[in-house]
Amino acid sequence: MKRPKLNPVVIALLLAVLLFALGGILRPGFASHAQAMNILRLAALLGVIAAGQTLVIISGGEGIDLSVGAVITLSATLTYRLVNGDNGMVLPALGLTLLVGLLIGVINGLGITLLRIPPLVMTLGMTGVVQGLVLVVTQGQMQGAVAPIMARLVARPLALGIPGVVLIWVVLGVAMWLVLQRTAYGKRLFAIGVNRTTARLSGVRVPRVVVATYGLSGMLAALGGFVLLGYTQIVFLNLGAPYTLPSIAAVVIGGTLLSGGQGGYAGTMAGALVLTLLTSLLTALQMPESARQIVYGGTLLVLLSVYGRQRALRQ
Amino acid sequence: MHQIALTAHQLVKRYGGVVALADGSLEVRSGEVVALVGANGSGKSTLGKIITGAVAPDGGQLILDGRAVHFPSPQAARRAGIAAVYQDLSLVPDLTVAENIWLAHEPIGWGWRVRRGAMREATARLLDLFAGTVRSTLTPETPVAALPPDERQIVEILKALSLNPRLMILDEATASLDSNQVARLFELVARWKAEGMAVIFVSHRMEEIFRLADRAVVLRSGQTVGTRDLRTTSEQELVALMIEGGLAVESRSAAGATRGAERLRVAGLRAGAVRGVDLSLHDGEIVGLGGLRGQGQTDLLLALFGALPFTGEVRLAGQPVRFTHPSQAMEAGIAFVPGDRTREGLLPIRSILENLLLPSWHRYGALLRLTQARRDAQAMAQRLNLVMESLDAPVSSLSGGNAQKVVLGKWLLREPRLLLLDDPTKGVDVGAKREFYQSLEELRDAGVAILLYSSDDEELLGLCDRVLVLRDGQVRAELAGPTLTRAELVSASIGALMGETS
Repeated sequence: MKRPKLNPVVIALLLAVLLFALGGILRPGFASHAQAMNILRLAALLGVIAAGQTLVIISGGEGIDLSVGAVITLSATLTYRLVNGDNGMVLPALGLTLLVGLLIGVINGLGITLLRIPPLVMTLGMTGVVQGLVLVVTQGQMQGAVAPIMARLVARPLALGIPGVVLIWVVLGVAMWLVLQRTAYGKRLFAIGVNRTTARLSGVRVPRVVVATYGLSGMLAALGGFVLLGYTQIVFLNLGAPYTLPSIAAVVIGGTLLSGGQGGYAGTMAGALVLTLLTSLLTALQMPESARQIVYGGTLLVLLSVYGRQRALRQ
Repeated sequence: MHQIALTAHQLVKRYGGVVALADGSLEVRSGEVVALVGANGSGKSTLGKIITGAVAPDGGQLILDGRAVHFPSPQAARRAGIAAVYQDLSLVPDLTVAENIWLAHEPIGWGWRVRRGAMREATARLLDLFAGTVRSTLTPETPVAALPPDERQIVEILKALSLNPRLMILDEATASLDSNQVARLFELVARWKAEGMAVIFVSHRMEEIFRLADRAVVLRSGQTVGTRDLRTTSEQELVALMIEGGLAVESRSAAGATRGAERLRVAGLRAGAVRGVDLSLHDGEIVGLGGLRGQGQTDLLLALFGALPFTGEVRLAGQPVRFTHPSQAMEAGIAFVPGDRTREGLLPIRSILENLLLPSWHRYGALLRLTQARRDAQAMAQRLNLVMESLDAPVSSLSGGNAQKVVLGKWLLREPRLLLLDDPTKGVDVGAKREFYQSLEELRDAGVAILLYSSDDEELLGLCDRVLVLRDGQVRAELAGPTLTRAELVSASIGALMGETS
């Protein structure tokens, strides 16, 4: 298959290696095993959260899910409250939060297909609704506790010194690859991302695919919240919000077209690594917060414009 | 004593290897209405577009008031006093009637401010020209999006008029107007003519041509083949001039002898531009849909494929069906090759493999058996003689003809019983066309029922067992055997008397 010389996934991976090496040179200790594992763990958190975003962006039609942050907070809050330190409640709580996430995503999808609300507006509006739901769940007090098993699963090394969350990430990666490449749903998802008229005239029920995709995104965001809770051990109202924009950035850095129809989860995984490394490096360099934000934003702009140029050259 | 306003002399326009206009010539003087007539693809619109500066000619000359001119853009032609009204509307829906009419030539006052009051008054004066034939809601402040098609067309006409043109081109401008509005337009044209305007009138409606025009310039296959004074010319004579070789008879040699059971029966179907169509289609038969563009052919095919809501009765192999989504039609063995390949038939940036298999994925299991899918796609590519780098190359890397093979191939993989095609060979080169026809004939021989719309009369004559000619959303003539000739096809398309007396 003749591809443009620079595959975005490869670029992102090279960039990750480069950032890691740069960190090691500038700050001895940055490239240590412990630090590497920590970065991997943070990248895995972002990676899990960005999985649903990948599907939504591939689905095209200006697809974007701004409600992931709020769904993360809701899912973490719900889990926190339901589990309340009891290992036996972990699975039921997980099942329930996934269901709630799915439901929120399906409502997003229905609003977008039936009411023809643009995804940006629909999911932004949903963010407000879900934030309200969080307040309903907490009644103003963050009560509950994390079960020991969750902390062990996510935060501590599970096997071979690799954190459990990284293993979850790898399993999710394989599942995402299977869904995108080896299921009819995946093929139809790419099809509606490129051209919805063609898809419809080829027998694809476009609204169903869209609703399923936003539903999956909501469910994966809920999973992200569950995993994140295992890492942070506590919940607060602003827990998920800082992940919304990085989840989109990770997808785009991974080479998935913002216009839809092309991309994949491997790219998003690499993108999550790049973003996490960048944040960690800027932190390790002890830059002031303001400079960190500027460098972070500037790097994103540079990366995106490089991809944009490549695309323009191809056409 | 007429002053010559414009002469087009042997204009030539090529698009790639296709000659759209080989020798386009016409003369039009002020105070005169000249009709431009010809069959589909005869070069009428190309000639019109060269005169308005929308298309640059590859050869020939435009002479305005005795001097050779060259319009690099429509603006340049407008400055020379030439304005055009097209059927495919050029209005901005979100702007008001006044803003649309004066777009890009707004009355400007001090400090580059648009004089809105003057604009509104001028618009009201223009709207008065059609007073009584339009609804009272048509005011200068009405947003164009709120207007029905006929009133939009009138705004389009007034927009051209607001330029105070010396030469106005009306390109199928009457198609969406009702008879009162057409009558008013014709009164106005008569008045403008008396005031010294020159008018070029492009229309398929013979009756209107004879009512409005003084002379007719006839185009055939990109060449001006004659000019006739309409006071001394009959309709038949004009039609004969439009048809190559006069009224020569040709028809398909081997008519479908293997015609099978009735596959499709349609009664009283209405959908979009279709206003009551009855038809019947048998297995092993190719039936053509003829007529001018936009007479409901595409909407008929879309409705049969479940992509357009319809009323009326559709029976498939005797069973009444009512599809609300293409997937249902597909399950019933129907396939549809759409007219606009890139926008309706293909996923350009995805691979040939994925394009071929898009309608068929459900057959390869929950976890897709990709090896088998690839084998099937490979076999189809070979059967269609697809020229490609590999199955993984994006469809956008293919030529038009090969891309169209992919659109056909993705349906053949489903082995349809009824194949609907919407002008499938548009923009396809001659070699690929021949292969495409061959594929269709093989399918017909294999017992597939085929309903084909084509804007290419040759194609209908050469390929179809029967042709149904549509006009204004209804079947106006059914041509088969001895009546399946170019002359009958053209005259039935434009509603000339000849075809209906036979």
